[in-house]
Amino acid sequence: MADNPTSDIWRHHALFVLLTLGIVFLSLVPLNTVPRNIAPPDLLLALTFAWVARRPDFLPVWLIALVFFLTDFLFHRPPGLWAALVVLGTEFLRNRIHNLRNITFIAEWAMVGAVLLAMMVGNRLVLAVTATPQVPLSLTLIQIGATILIYPLAVLASNTLFGVRKTAPGEVDALGHRL
Amino acid sequence: MARDKGKAEEFTGPLRRLVVGLLLLVLIGTFVLWRIDNPRVERLRAAIVDSVVPSFDWALAPVRTVADITSDFQSYAKIYEQNQELRRELRRMQAWREAALQLEQENARLLDLNDVRIDPKLTFVTGVVLTDSGSPFRQSVLLNVGRQDGIQDGWATMDGLGLVGRISGVGGQTSRVMLLTDTSSRIPITIQPSGQKAVLAGDNTIGPVIEFLEDPSLVRPGDRVVTSGDGGVFPGDLLVGSVSQATDRRLRVRLAADYERLEFLRVLRSREAEPITDPGSLVAEPDAAELAAEGPADG
Repeated sequence: MADNPTSDIWRHHALFVLLTLGIVFLSLVPLNTVPRNIAPPDLLLALTFAWVARRPDFLPVWLIALVFFLTDFLFHRPPGLWAALVVLGTEFLRNRIHNLRNITFIAEWAMVGAVLLAMMVGNRLVLAVTATPQVPLSLTLIQIGATILIYPLAVLASNTLFGVRKTAPGEVDALGHRL
Repeated sequence: MARDKGKAEEFTGPLRRLVVGLLLLVLIGTFVLWRIDNPRVERLRAAIVDSVVPSFDWALAPVRTVADITSDFQSYAKIYEQNQELRRELRRMQAWREAALQLEQENARLLDLNDVRIDPKLTFVTGVVLTDSGSPFRQSVLLNVGRQDGIQDGWATMDGLGLVGRISGVGGQTSRVMLLTDTSSRIPITIQPSGQKAVLAGDNTIGPVIEFLEDPSLVRPGDRVVTSGDGGVFPGDLLVGSVSQATDRRLRVRLAADYERLEFLRVLRSREAEPITDPGSLVAEPDAAELAAEGPADG
């Protein structure tokens, strides 16, 4: 692994930005102009939560806010709202990171799923309160469901490909700080 | 054990909370601003898209080409049947072409006899589709023509045959076309031959719904649907598609434009309708009209 923890963190910031660009690119490219009945999972969301549940120091809150704010604009969502909800959801997990380290994967999965569902409900509630036109409920449900289903894959990819693992209790970095 | 960690976070804690709070404030603030002053924020969105997407362009083109080639390759399998089908279709089209030519000549003679002045033909700018909306909830495409090419918000967009959507959001070099299938798309239409006016509302399916129809019994599946030009937003008489009845008994429109392959789109330059402001001397005498206008001001 990395000899310098700070450079390791920055490398993962850069990696996350690259992954974001890749996902944005992939979702923009296949020109699909016919409306579909199914919605693909939100890869970026699953990846973000997988990283935050493992190494919150790899994904600072400003990076999450920036990335989701930008994708709000690119994907034609109401700007700011979804980004704010993602920040809230990840902060909720971040504050419980010590619990997250000790629970089984199934429990973690359930917890992340609950947070994602709460974010979706919050999104629809705010949109309803502000009388913003909404997308069909079935599509949103399918997308959140697919995102929750793909979460284990995002975790697997984070573990094996991107080197984002849960830290063992008492593990220290090269400078002797607790992780 | 875990409490030791608190030590190090003690002085970053409140600061962190402040940063998170500020971020949330900015994000929610943007959303509220978007809700209040939509056009300005949408212009910002167009500017952001305009700066991000064209930088992808070098990569978009090859990926799309590869995707097109694979789909073309799949169609090689049935190339013979397609060829036969096309021949039959061509026969039918030639008959129609003959009929159309004759009708056009007849039409021109009649118009000449009646001395009718019709709208000048619309001119158009052709653009290439860069990307789709990137989200399953939004039906829109991004064109590579923008303000530099004189594109304006609200202009109609067609493929070779039928209406595709309208411009919503113009950047310097790109513009977004909201497709008729988008949930927020509403277009005034006329259904021929009964001539009834209605509104075509997108609902994220391939067949938009016909709403506000006065008498559904006069409409049959297969009737032609064209834009009505009501409200002055859209030029009239653009082909949209034909009426079809879906399994849920609602009247929908089968779109004439080929939504499977939107590649080149025409943006029609439409001019604003000239408003008629004065009552005119025939309806009321000039003096009387002026008196009527001044009357309430005096009193």
